[in-house]
Amino acid sequence: MNLKKWQQDFYQGIFHPSQNNIQLACQGINTTGNLSASQRLDIYRDSILGGITDGLSGVFPVCENLVGSQYFSHMLTDFLKQNPSYSPDLGNYGALLPNYIAQFKPAKDLVYLPEVAKLEWLWHKAFNASDVHNNNAAIYTLEQLASITENEQGRIQFVLQPSIQLMQSDYPIHLIWEMNQDNYDGQKQVDLNEGEVNLLIFRAPDYSMHINPLNKDEFIFYQALQAGLIFLDIAKLTFTAPIETLLAPAIQSGLIIGFNIA
Amino acid sequence: MSQLKFKSNAIYGAGLGLRASHYQEVLSSKPNIPWFELLADNYMSDGGLPIERAHKIRQNYPITLHCVGMSLGSCDPLNINYLTRLKALSEKLEPAYISDHLAWASIDGQYTHDLLPLPYNAHTLDHMCERISKVQEFLGRTILIENPSSYLTFEESDMTEWDFISQMAKISGCELLVDINNIYVSSINHKFDPLHYVASLPAEKVKELHLAGFTKMDNYLLDTHSEKVHPPVWQLYRAAIKQFGATPTLIEWDSDVPDFATLHQEALTAERHMWALSQ
Ligand SMILES: [Fe+2]
Repeated sequence: MNLKKWQQDFYQGIFHPSQNNIQLACQGINTTGNLSASQRLDIYRDSILGGITDGLSGVFPVCENLVGSQYFSHMLTDFLKQNPSYSPDLGNYGALLPNYIAQFKPAKDLVYLPEVAKLEWLWHKAFNASDVHNNNAAIYTLEQLASITENEQGRIQFVLQPSIQLMQSDYPIHLIWEMNQDNYDGQKQVDLNEGEVNLLIFRAPDYSMHINPLNKDEFIFYQALQAGLIFLDIAKLTFTAPIETLLAPAIQSGLIIGFNIA
Repeated sequence: MSQLKFKSNAIYGAGLGLRASHYQEVLSSKPNIPWFELLADNYMSDGGLPIERAHKIRQNYPITLHCVGMSLGSCDPLNINYLTRLKALSEKLEPAYISDHLAWASIDGQYTHDLLPLPYNAHTLDHMCERISKVQEFLGRTILIENPSSYLTFEESDMTEWDFISQMAKISGCELLVDINNIYVSSINHKFDPLHYVASLPAEKVKELHLAGFTKMDNYLLDTHSEKVHPPVWQLYRAAIKQFGATPTLIEWDSDVPDFATLHQEALTAERHMWALSQ
């Protein structure tokens, strides 16, 4: 038995359990006592798929809540087969789940489900993002803004704090998310036709998590910052309000942590 | 240097695995627990609350770092990114021990996030020892290797698990984390004498013990870490303490996690056995 070949066969027998793959995976495994080799493989399959499913429930608890845990694991069956986990950290697995849910026909009536999944993934990324004090993306601190010359001003590239995530949705998914949190006791109904929402997801320095709705101006502004646009180019975008009214609160709230000169 | 802000990193007595649902209580009431085990893999992200909490815990308690991601038995190259993150974490938290398992978890870069069995023979022994040595060199310290629970055996195994582990410790210089519950679970699943297993291990290499609760299935025992420690596992633990002396012991409880008081009771029971038998 070649160990590498057997590990590959075992992996196939777990994730792609065709009769042929199971047979290959069972080669060299003892059938003793009350269990056949393939029953022994089943024990590992249940454990592996159960473990990864638990990991995903931890990242997508609202989705799980919305469809029920049985349906959630049923929905994941093919996802786990099609999308191997390439990191030893289970927390890095699941980025592709929102797209998968969007393609998952049996759940197509839950039009908002892929969007809720995306919101949960971004929340998870914000939760685990690097801390501001460990981040060296900005060369200059905000105090140094005062000493910037006029000809440098247009070339300022503001740096957002590392946890910031942005998303747009056709549905009020932030309300759906909120309604599915423990201890929620607000309104019990959401109007799906409320119109699109723009959301800013971030982790504050005190580690509290926030999902804030933005107006169109704010959303365009933060999107431009996240794309690394220089201030001159941001100023050319179309806003209904003066750009200073967008910049000042972003600085005061700590969402902008510093800047570079391009 | 950061050492000054920490208590000593030597551990003794019965510690607990730190679970997210208990952080608040541990940090606010500072219970009298001798040490905590942190699952290193949960603290590998770039930043955020879990890492901050780990630092706070470490300011009040010695810790060990337990890993499930080294995939030591795999035929893939070692994952240097993982080991780099582990090393950084260990430099920040100064654990008493770093441990992982006699198992494989990934192949062709694809992770199962589980601990999978290996055939016990000379080839696997070479393979494990070479990789343990590389990891120890990379981390600049000795690691502990834990015996897995298992549900299958191989035609090509020509050594017992206890012989394999004893030789592995001797050749690679690693030390041992002996999971008493895993020995018991495997002894039922594969019909061997668990007392003989314990008696065959090199006592001077054993630095930590694990205890946990299994679940009884129709034809086998499943290592679920979801219940209290079962009576035969306590019995085997007593034999282990008699042989290894008072060895730092961890209660593992990973699913259906009870309230902190229940968990603490299990640790106190372990300590009672430990102090009574190790005189
Ligand atoms: Fe263990």
